[in-house]
Amino acid sequence: MQMKTEIKNGLTVCYVEGEIDINTSPGVKKSFDKLISSKTPRIVVNLSKVTYVDSSGLATLVEILKNMRSYGGRLRLSDMSSKIKSLFEITKLEKLFEIIADEKEAVSTFV
Amino acid sequence: MEFLKRHKEPSGKTLIKVPSETRYINKVSSEILSGLARYGVDESRLFDIRLCVEEAVRNAMVHGNHCDKKLPVRTVYWVDNGVLNVEIADEGPGFDSTDVADPTLEPHMLKNSGRGVYLIKKLMDKIEYNEKGNKITMTKILK
Repeated sequence: MQMKTEIKNGLTVCYVEGEIDINTSPGVKKSFDKLISSKTPRIVVNLSKVTYVDSSGLATLVEILKNMRSYGGRLRLSDMSSKIKSLFEITKLEKLFEIIADEKEAVSTFV
Repeated sequence: MEFLKRHKEPSGKTLIKVPSETRYINKVSSEILSGLARYGVDESRLFDIRLCVEEAVRNAMVHGNHCDKKLPVRTVYWVDNGVLNVEIADEGPGFDSTDVADPTLEPHMLKNSGRGVYLIKKLMDKIEYNEKGNKITMTKILK
């Protein structure tokens, strides 16, 4: 798992690459810790290069969302593969997260 | 305990035995997916099978064996008439799967437990637990 961060339109966009599972989730959480500790107000996570997510990965994303909400931050997920999106649908996490089809829309409409 | 595997028992079933260390989880799923290569299973089903095997092995290691490296998780799989059967057993006292809270209900959505079992129930065609509750048998139609 790798993550790089860019600033676009004043927003933080995180590009996660690889698999988010029980073994890589701690690394994902660590990557977000700095953004959360500095209370980054709005984050878009581009998941286009994430090929696999398990329940630990879903739990980690829920944890990041909870931590951001604790200071009034907002998180959007974009560019999910149809398979990963189906996991959010099955688990009803789609109701918890702001899931946007693509990064461009996620950034341009994030006010 | 080293990572152990034994191909093709006389019954035609394959046994994979690993210590209760999470780094071995994807070795189990990889072995099964490799074994399915000749069946022409589509990517979506392979994703589901991998996910459910890994969730069940993880539960066996973490909740069943409490990550005791000396305790093995045994996985047996076989294909019968186009249906994949996977049994995953731990050494723990067992659990009652009906006790797992529904993670899709509002009070539990922000909690981080029960989602693995829920995904297995949704993505496999059939699952069963033994009476003790320390062995799950899952089946998935391959086509």
